[in-house]
Amino acid sequence: MSTAHSPRHEEMLPAYALGALDGEELRELEAHLPGCDECRRLLRGWEDDLEQLAAAAPPLEPSAEVRRRILGATGAAPAAIPARSEPVRRRSQAWVWLPLAAALALLVVGLARQARLQGEIERLQGERDQLAQQVTALDQQLVVARGEAQRMAEALSVINAPGGRAVRLAGLGPTPEAFGHTFIDPERGRALFYAARLPELAPDKDYQLWFFADGKPVPAGVFDVDTNGNGSVRVDRLASDIQGWAVTIEPRGGLPAPSGDIVLKG
Amino acid sequence: MSRVAHGDGEAFARLFDLHAPVVLGLLYRILGSRGEAEEVLQEVFLQTWTQSARYDGDRSSPRAWVLMLARSRAFDRLRRRDSARRRDEEAGAEARLMAVPPVGTERLEARERSERVSSALGLLSPEQRRCIELAFFEGLTHTQIAERLEAPLGTVKSRILLGMNKLRQALSTAS
Repeated sequence: MSTAHSPRHEEMLPAYALGALDGEELRELEAHLPGCDECRRLLRGWEDDLEQLAAAAPPLEPSAEVRRRILGATGAAPAAIPARSEPVRRRSQAWVWLPLAAALALLVVGLARQARLQGEIERLQGERDQLAQQVTALDQQLVVARGEAQRMAEALSVINAPGGRAVRLAGLGPTPEAFGHTFIDPERGRALFYAARLPELAPDKDYQLWFFADGKPVPAGVFDVDTNGNGSVRVDRLASDIQGWAVTIEPRGGLPAPSGDIVLKG
Repeated sequence: MSRVAHGDGEAFARLFDLHAPVVLGLLYRILGSRGEAEEVLQEVFLQTWTQSARYDGDRSSPRAWVLMLARSRAFDRLRRRDSARRRDEEAGAEARLMAVPPVGTERLEARERSERVSSALGLLSPEQRRCIELAFFEGLTHTQIAERLEAPLGTVKSRILLGMNKLRQALSTAS
Protein backbone atom coordinates (compact mmCIF):
# COMPACT_ATOMS: atom_id res chain seq x y z
CA MET A 1 0.00 0.00 0.00
CA SER A 2 1.31 3.43 -0.92
CA THR A 3 2.27 5.78 1.90
CA ALA A 4 1.58 9.53 1.94
CA HIS A 5 3.92 11.70 -0.13
CA SER A 6 6.70 13.29 1.88
CA PRO A 7 9.96 15.23 1.30
CA ARG A 8 11.78 12.08 2.37
CA HIS A 9 10.43 10.27 -0.71
CA GLU A 10 11.54 13.15 -2.91
CA GLU A 11 15.06 12.91 -1.48
CA MET A 12 15.23 9.24 -2.41
CA LEU A 13 14.32 9.84 -6.06
CA PRO A 14 17.73 10.92 -7.45
CA ALA A 15 19.41 7.84 -5.99
CA TYR A 16 16.54 5.65 -7.20
CA ALA A 17 16.89 7.01 -10.73
CA LEU A 18 20.63 6.31 -10.54
CA GLY A 19 19.95 2.76 -9.35
CA ALA A 20 21.86 3.48 -6.13
CA LEU A 21 18.98 3.12 -3.67
CA ASP A 22 19.05 -0.15 -1.77
CA GLY A 23 17.79 -1.89 1.36
CA GLU A 24 14.79 -0.63 3.26
CA GLU A 25 14.73 2.70 1.41
CA LEU A 26 14.39 0.90 -1.92
CA ARG A 27 11.51 -1.23 -0.63
CA GLU A 28 9.82 1.82 0.86
CA LEU A 29 10.05 3.92 -2.30
CA GLU A 30 8.96 1.08 -4.60
CA ALA A 31 5.90 0.57 -2.40
CA HIS A 32 5.18 4.29 -2.51
CA LEU A 33 5.73 5.08 -6.20
CA PRO A 34 2.75 3.32 -7.82
CA GLY A 35 0.30 5.45 -5.82
CA CYS A 36 2.08 8.80 -6.01
CA ASP A 37 1.69 10.85 -9.20
CA GLU A 38 3.97 13.59 -7.86
CA CYS A 39 6.88 11.24 -7.20
CA ARG A 40 6.48 9.61 -10.62
CA ARG A 41 6.55 13.05 -12.24
CA LEU A 42 9.67 14.04 -10.31
CA LEU A 43 11.30 10.71 -11.13
CA ARG A 44 10.82 11.34 -14.82
CA GLY A 45 12.67 14.66 -14.37
CA TRP A 46 15.62 12.88 -12.73
CA GLU A 47 15.66 10.26 -15.48
CA ASP A 48 15.80 13.04 -18.07
CA ASP A 49 18.82 14.48 -16.23
CA LEU A 50 20.49 11.07 -16.28
CA GLU A 51 19.81 10.80 -20.00
CA GLN A 52 22.00 13.89 -20.33
CA LEU A 53 24.61 12.36 -18.03
CA ALA A 54 24.98 9.48 -20.48
CA ALA A 55 26.25 12.06 -22.96
CA ALA A 56 29.30 12.53 -20.73
CA ALA A 57 30.63 9.35 -22.35
CA PRO A 58 31.84 10.30 -25.82
CA PRO A 59 29.49 8.82 -28.43
CA LEU A 60 30.78 6.04 -30.68
CA GLU A 61 29.54 5.36 -34.17
CA PRO A 62 28.67 1.65 -34.54
CA SER A 63 30.55 0.01 -37.37
CA ALA A 64 28.64 -0.69 -40.58
CA GLU A 65 28.92 -4.42 -39.81
CA VAL A 66 27.34 -4.04 -36.38
CA ARG A 67 24.58 -1.88 -37.84
CA ARG A 68 23.93 -4.40 -40.58
CA ARG A 69 23.87 -7.28 -38.08
CA ILE A 70 21.43 -5.54 -35.72
CA LEU A 71 19.05 -4.20 -38.35
CA GLY A 72 19.37 -7.45 -40.31
CA ALA A 73 18.24 -9.46 -37.30
CA THR A 74 15.01 -7.47 -37.24
CA GLY A 75 14.44 -7.64 -40.97
CA ALA A 76 14.81 -3.85 -41.15
CA ALA A 77 18.23 -3.72 -42.75
CA PRO A 78 17.74 -3.93 -46.50
CA ALA A 79 15.21 -1.15 -46.82
CA ALA A 80 16.40 0.97 -43.97
CA ILE A 81 20.16 1.27 -44.35
CA PRO A 82 20.61 4.71 -45.87
CA ALA A 83 22.84 4.69 -48.92
CA ARG A 84 26.06 6.58 -48.19
CA SER A 85 26.21 7.57 -51.85
CA GLU A 86 23.78 7.36 -54.71
CA PRO A 87 24.51 4.55 -57.17
CA VAL A 88 26.29 5.93 -60.23
CA ARG A 89 24.06 5.70 -63.23
CA ARG A 90 25.63 3.68 -66.03
CA ARG A 91 26.70 5.89 -68.90
CA SER A 92 27.04 4.70 -72.44
CA GLN A 93 30.31 6.51 -73.00
CA ALA A 94 33.39 6.04 -70.82
CA TRP A 95 34.74 9.52 -71.50
CA VAL A 96 31.85 10.98 -69.58
CA TRP A 97 32.07 8.93 -66.40
CA LEU A 98 35.77 8.17 -66.17
CA PRO A 99 36.79 11.77 -65.27
CA LEU A 100 33.77 11.97 -62.98
CA ALA A 101 34.78 8.75 -61.25
CA ALA A 102 38.34 10.02 -60.87
CA ALA A 103 37.09 13.30 -59.40
CA LEU A 104 34.77 11.40 -57.10
CA ALA A 105 37.61 9.17 -55.97
CA LEU A 106 39.75 12.22 -55.19
CA LEU A 107 36.84 13.74 -53.31
CA VAL A 108 36.35 10.56 -51.29
CA VAL A 109 40.06 10.41 -50.43
CA GLY A 110 39.98 14.09 -49.44
CA LEU A 111 36.91 13.64 -47.30
CA ALA A 112 38.38 10.56 -45.62
CA ARG A 113 41.56 12.50 -44.81
CA GLN A 114 39.52 15.39 -43.48
CA ALA A 115 37.48 13.02 -41.34
CA ARG A 116 40.68 11.48 -39.94
CA LEU A 117 42.11 14.93 -39.17
CA GLN A 118 38.83 15.98 -37.55
CA GLY A 119 38.92 12.84 -35.42
CA GLU A 120 42.51 13.59 -34.41
CA ILE A 121 41.64 17.20 -33.51
CA GLU A 122 38.74 16.06 -31.38
CA ARG A 123 40.89 13.41 -29.70
CA LEU A 124 43.51 16.05 -28.82
CA GLN A 125 40.84 18.45 -27.61
CA GLY A 126 39.51 15.67 -25.39
CA GLU A 127 42.99 15.08 -23.97
CA ARG A 128 43.42 18.81 -23.36
CA ASP A 129 40.08 18.93 -21.50
CA GLN A 130 41.06 15.96 -19.36
CA LEU A 131 44.43 17.49 -18.49
CA ALA A 132 42.71 20.75 -17.54
CA GLN A 133 40.39 18.79 -15.25
CA GLN A 134 43.36 17.02 -13.68
CA VAL A 135 45.11 20.36 -13.03
CA THR A 136 41.96 21.71 -11.39
CA ALA A 137 41.67 18.59 -9.23
CA LEU A 138 45.35 18.84 -8.20
CA ASP A 139 44.90 22.52 -7.33
CA GLN A 140 41.99 21.58 -5.10
CA GLN A 141 44.05 18.84 -3.43
CA LEU A 142 46.86 21.33 -2.82
CA VAL A 143 44.49 23.78 -1.14
CA VAL A 144 43.16 20.97 1.06
CA ALA A 145 46.69 19.79 1.92
CA ARG A 146 47.81 23.33 2.86
CA GLY A 147 44.77 23.79 5.08
CA GLU A 148 45.43 20.44 6.70
CA ALA A 149 49.08 21.33 7.36
CA GLN A 150 48.06 24.61 8.97
CA ARG A 151 45.52 22.87 11.17
CA MET A 152 48.10 20.28 12.22
CA ALA A 153 50.57 23.05 13.15
CA GLU A 154 47.90 24.78 15.27
CA ALA A 155 47.00 21.50 16.95
CA LEU A 156 50.63 20.77 17.73
CA SER A 157 51.09 24.20 19.32
CA VAL A 158 48.09 23.55 21.57
CA ILE A 159 49.13 19.99 22.46
CA ASN A 160 52.69 21.10 23.24
CA ALA A 161 51.47 23.88 25.55
CA PRO A 162 52.17 23.27 29.25
CA GLY A 163 49.24 21.33 30.72
CA GLY A 164 47.79 20.68 27.24
CA ARG A 165 45.45 17.71 26.97
CA ALA A 166 43.12 16.03 24.50
CA VAL A 167 39.51 14.84 24.89
CA ARG A 168 38.05 12.29 22.52
CA LEU A 169 34.39 12.62 21.43
CA ALA A 170 32.65 9.46 20.24
CA GLY A 171 29.89 9.22 17.62
CA LEU A 172 26.35 8.67 18.85
CA GLY A 173 23.00 7.73 17.33
CA PRO A 174 22.98 7.64 13.55
CA THR A 175 26.73 8.35 13.20
CA PRO A 176 28.59 5.81 15.38
CA GLU A 177 31.55 5.87 12.98
CA ALA A 178 32.11 9.61 13.51
CA PHE A 179 34.55 10.92 16.11
CA GLY A 180 36.22 14.11 17.27
CA HIS A 181 39.11 15.42 19.35
CA THR A 182 39.38 18.59 21.39
CA PHE A 183 42.90 19.75 22.12
CA ILE A 184 42.87 22.05 25.13
CA ASP A 185 45.45 24.65 26.18
CA PRO A 186 44.20 25.49 29.68
CA GLU A 187 46.81 28.19 30.37
CA ARG A 188 45.73 30.32 27.44
CA GLY A 189 42.06 29.30 27.71
CA ARG A 190 41.87 28.10 24.11
CA ALA A 191 41.08 24.84 22.34
CA LEU A 192 40.99 23.30 18.90
CA PHE A 193 38.32 20.84 17.93
CA TYR A 194 38.44 18.44 14.98
CA ALA A 195 35.64 16.16 13.78
CA ALA A 196 35.89 13.31 11.29
CA ARG A 197 33.45 11.11 9.37
CA LEU A 198 30.43 13.27 10.05
CA PRO A 199 27.83 13.26 7.25
CA GLU A 200 27.33 16.41 5.20
CA LEU A 201 24.32 18.43 6.32
CA ALA A 202 21.49 20.10 4.43
CA PRO A 203 22.30 23.74 3.57
CA ASP A 204 20.04 25.07 6.35
CA LYS A 205 21.88 23.14 9.10
CA ASP A 206 25.19 23.44 10.92
CA TYR A 207 27.07 21.38 13.46
CA GLN A 208 27.52 23.20 16.79
CA LEU A 209 30.15 22.47 19.43
CA TRP A 210 29.34 22.85 23.14
CA PHE A 211 31.29 22.49 26.35
CA PHE A 212 29.66 21.89 29.71
CA ALA A 213 30.58 24.22 32.58
CA ASP A 214 28.69 24.42 35.86
CA GLY A 215 26.41 21.69 34.47
CA LYS A 216 25.25 23.91 31.60
CA PRO A 217 26.05 23.73 27.88
CA VAL A 218 28.02 26.71 26.56
CA PRO A 219 28.14 27.35 22.78
CA ALA A 220 31.71 26.97 21.48
CA GLY A 221 31.27 27.51 17.73
CA VAL A 222 29.54 26.21 14.63
CA PHE A 223 31.12 24.32 11.75
CA ASP A 224 30.29 22.37 8.66
CA VAL A 225 32.15 19.44 7.19
CA ASP A 226 33.85 18.88 3.88
CA THR A 227 32.98 16.03 1.56
CA ASN A 228 35.20 13.70 3.63
CA GLY A 229 33.20 14.48 6.76
CA ASN A 230 35.99 16.56 8.36
CA GLY A 231 35.34 19.81 10.20
CA SER A 232 37.03 21.98 12.82
CA VAL A 233 36.42 24.79 15.31
CA ARG A 234 38.83 27.07 17.14
CA VAL A 235 37.64 27.98 20.64
CA ASP A 236 39.27 31.11 22.06
CA ARG A 237 37.41 31.49 25.35
CA LEU A 238 37.19 28.47 27.61
CA ALA A 239 35.68 28.11 31.05
CA SER A 240 38.14 27.05 33.74
CA ASP A 241 36.28 23.91 34.79
CA ILE A 242 34.88 21.96 31.83
CA GLN A 243 32.98 18.75 32.51
CA GLY A 244 32.48 17.58 28.92
CA TRP A 245 32.05 18.32 25.23
CA ALA A 246 29.28 17.63 22.71
CA VAL A 247 28.31 18.34 19.10
CA THR A 248 24.70 18.78 18.00
CA ILE A 249 22.93 19.51 14.72
CA GLU A 250 21.35 22.96 14.80
CA PRO A 251 19.76 25.47 12.41
CA ARG A 252 22.35 27.31 10.29
CA GLY A 253 24.36 29.74 12.42
CA GLY A 254 23.73 27.86 15.67
CA LEU A 255 21.62 28.58 18.75
CA PRO A 256 22.36 29.86 22.27
CA ALA A 257 21.16 26.55 23.73
CA PRO A 258 21.21 23.09 22.13
CA SER A 259 17.99 21.92 20.46
CA GLY A 260 19.10 19.13 18.08
CA ASP A 261 20.35 15.58 18.41
CA ILE A 262 23.77 14.99 19.95
CA VAL A 263 26.02 13.37 17.34
CA LEU A 264 29.35 13.47 19.22
CA LYS A 265 30.00 13.38 22.95
CA GLY A 266 33.05 13.10 25.15
CA MET B 1 8.27 4.30 -30.91
CA SER B 2 4.69 3.18 -31.54
CA ARG B 3 5.64 2.46 -35.18
CA VAL B 4 8.51 0.30 -33.95
CA ALA B 5 6.04 -1.56 -31.74
CA HIS B 6 4.00 -2.30 -34.86
CA GLY B 7 7.03 -3.85 -36.56
CA ASP B 8 8.00 -0.87 -38.74
CA GLY B 9 11.58 -1.66 -39.77
CA GLU B 10 12.29 1.81 -41.14
CA ALA B 11 11.21 3.43 -37.88
CA PHE B 12 13.47 1.01 -36.02
CA ALA B 13 16.40 1.86 -38.30
CA ARG B 14 15.83 5.57 -37.58
CA LEU B 15 15.64 4.85 -33.85
CA PHE B 16 18.92 2.95 -34.14
CA ASP B 17 20.70 5.67 -36.11
CA LEU B 18 19.49 8.36 -33.70
CA HIS B 19 20.45 6.69 -30.43
CA ALA B 20 23.03 3.98 -31.13
CA PRO B 21 26.13 6.28 -30.95
CA VAL B 22 25.21 7.58 -27.49
CA VAL B 23 24.27 4.08 -26.31
CA LEU B 24 27.50 2.57 -27.67
CA GLY B 25 29.56 5.38 -26.10
CA LEU B 26 27.92 4.69 -22.73
CA LEU B 27 28.39 0.92 -23.07
CA TYR B 28 32.05 1.37 -23.92
CA ARG B 29 32.49 3.68 -20.95
CA ILE B 30 30.95 1.02 -18.69
CA LEU B 31 32.54 -2.11 -20.17
CA GLY B 32 35.87 -0.79 -21.44
CA SER B 33 35.85 -3.15 -24.41
CA ARG B 34 34.62 -2.21 -27.86
CA GLY B 35 33.78 -5.85 -28.71
CA GLU B 36 31.71 -6.36 -25.60
CA ALA B 37 30.07 -2.96 -25.99
CA GLU B 38 28.95 -3.87 -29.51
CA GLU B 39 27.65 -7.25 -28.34
CA VAL B 40 25.57 -5.57 -25.65
CA LEU B 41 24.46 -2.90 -28.14
CA GLN B 42 23.06 -5.71 -30.27
CA GLU B 43 21.26 -7.23 -27.25
CA VAL B 44 19.83 -3.85 -26.28
CA PHE B 45 18.43 -3.00 -29.69
CA LEU B 46 17.04 -6.49 -30.18
CA GLN B 47 15.32 -6.08 -26.81
CA THR B 48 14.07 -2.66 -27.95
CA TRP B 49 12.68 -4.26 -31.10
CA THR B 50 10.98 -7.19 -29.38
CA GLN B 51 9.76 -5.30 -26.30
CA SER B 52 8.88 -1.90 -27.73
CA ALA B 53 5.23 -2.50 -26.84
CA ARG B 54 6.32 -2.24 -23.20
CA TYR B 55 7.66 1.28 -23.72
CA ASP B 56 5.66 3.84 -21.74
CA GLY B 57 5.90 7.34 -23.22
CA ASP B 58 4.55 8.86 -20.01
CA ARG B 59 7.34 7.27 -18.03
CA SER B 60 10.38 8.21 -20.11
CA SER B 61 11.65 9.46 -23.45
CA PRO B 62 12.71 6.81 -26.02
CA ARG B 63 16.38 7.65 -25.46
CA ALA B 64 16.04 7.43 -21.67
CA TRP B 65 14.33 4.04 -22.08
CA VAL B 66 17.01 2.64 -24.39
CA LEU B 67 19.77 3.98 -22.13
CA MET B 68 18.10 2.38 -19.12
CA LEU B 69 18.00 -0.97 -20.92
CA ALA B 70 21.64 -0.50 -21.94
CA ARG B 71 22.84 0.25 -18.41
CA SER B 72 20.92 -2.69 -17.03
CA ARG B 73 22.42 -5.12 -19.56
CA ALA B 74 25.91 -3.68 -19.18
CA PHE B 75 25.76 -4.09 -15.40
CA ASP B 76 24.60 -7.70 -15.88
CA ARG B 77 27.66 -8.22 -18.05
CA LEU B 78 29.92 -6.56 -15.47
CA ARG B 79 28.56 -8.75 -12.69
CA ARG B 80 29.32 -11.85 -14.73
CA ARG B 81 32.93 -10.81 -15.09
CA ASP B 82 35.62 -11.58 -12.60
CA SER B 83 35.71 -8.47 -10.44
CA ALA B 84 39.49 -8.41 -10.71
CA ARG B 85 39.15 -7.84 -14.44
CA ARG B 86 37.03 -4.76 -14.02
CA ARG B 87 38.50 -1.67 -15.42
CA ASP B 88 38.13 1.52 -13.52
CA GLU B 89 39.25 4.95 -14.61
CA GLU B 90 41.31 3.48 -17.43
CA ALA B 91 38.18 2.38 -19.23
CA GLY B 92 36.90 5.91 -19.41
CA ALA B 93 40.25 7.24 -20.57
CA GLU B 94 40.60 4.54 -23.19
CA ALA B 95 37.06 5.09 -24.39
CA ARG B 96 37.73 8.76 -24.80
CA LEU B 97 40.97 8.23 -26.64
CA MET B 98 39.50 5.69 -29.01
CA ALA B 99 36.18 7.40 -29.52
CA VAL B 100 35.08 7.83 -33.10
CA PRO B 101 32.55 10.65 -33.23
CA PRO B 102 29.36 10.16 -35.20
CA VAL B 103 29.19 11.58 -38.69
CA GLY B 104 27.51 14.74 -39.96
CA THR B 105 25.74 17.34 -37.85
CA GLU B 106 25.20 14.73 -35.12
CA ARG B 107 28.94 14.93 -34.46
CA LEU B 108 28.84 18.57 -33.50
CA GLU B 109 25.69 18.15 -31.47
CA ALA B 110 27.13 15.15 -29.65
CA ARG B 111 30.36 16.98 -28.95
CA GLU B 112 28.53 20.05 -27.65
CA ARG B 113 26.34 17.83 -25.47
CA SER B 114 29.35 15.94 -24.16
CA GLU B 115 31.19 19.19 -23.37
CA ARG B 116 28.14 20.65 -21.64
CA VAL B 117 27.72 17.60 -19.41
CA SER B 118 31.47 17.39 -18.71
CA SER B 119 31.59 21.02 -17.63
CA ALA B 120 28.49 20.49 -15.45
CA LEU B 121 30.19 17.46 -13.85
CA GLY B 122 33.26 19.62 -13.30
CA LEU B 123 31.24 21.84 -10.95
CA LEU B 124 30.67 18.93 -8.57
CA SER B 125 33.20 18.17 -5.87
CA PRO B 126 35.48 15.25 -6.84
CA GLU B 127 33.82 13.11 -4.15
CA GLN B 128 30.29 13.90 -5.34
CA ARG B 129 31.28 13.20 -8.94
CA ARG B 130 32.96 9.93 -7.99
CA CYS B 131 29.86 8.68 -6.14
CA ILE B 132 27.55 9.56 -9.03
CA GLU B 133 29.89 7.99 -11.56
CA LEU B 134 30.17 4.78 -9.53
CA ALA B 135 26.37 4.53 -9.46
CA PHE B 136 25.77 5.55 -13.06
CA PHE B 137 28.66 3.89 -14.86
CA GLU B 138 29.30 0.89 -12.60
CA GLY B 139 25.84 0.20 -11.24
CA LEU B 140 26.86 0.33 -7.57
CA THR B 141 24.32 0.98 -4.81
CA HIS B 142 24.74 3.30 -1.82
CA THR B 143 26.07 0.46 0.31
CA GLN B 144 28.47 -0.80 -2.36
CA ILE B 145 29.81 2.71 -2.99
CA ALA B 146 30.37 3.21 0.75
CA GLU B 147 32.33 -0.09 0.83
CA ARG B 148 34.32 0.75 -2.30
CA LEU B 149 35.28 4.23 -1.04
CA GLU B 150 35.51 3.19 2.62
CA ALA B 151 33.24 6.13 3.43
CA PRO B 152 30.28 6.32 5.84
CA LEU B 153 26.97 5.34 4.25
CA GLY B 154 25.35 8.64 5.28
CA THR B 155 28.12 10.58 3.61
CA VAL B 156 27.67 8.65 0.36
CA LYS B 157 23.92 9.32 0.41
CA SER B 158 24.52 13.03 1.00
CA ARG B 159 27.10 13.23 -1.76
CA ILE B 160 24.73 11.66 -4.26
CA LEU B 161 21.77 13.83 -3.24
CA LEU B 162 23.75 17.08 -3.17
CA GLY B 163 25.68 16.12 -6.32
CA MET B 164 22.56 15.30 -8.31
CA ASN B 165 20.93 18.59 -7.29
CA LYS B 166 24.07 20.49 -8.23
CA LEU B 167 24.28 18.62 -11.53
CA ARG B 168 20.67 19.45 -12.36
CA GLN B 169 21.27 23.12 -11.58
CA ALA B 170 24.43 23.19 -13.71
CA LEU B 171 22.76 21.41 -16.63
CA SER B 172 19.77 23.74 -16.59
CA THR B 173 22.05 26.80 -16.40
CA ALA B 174 24.16 25.49 -19.27
CA SER B 175 21.16 24.83 -21.46
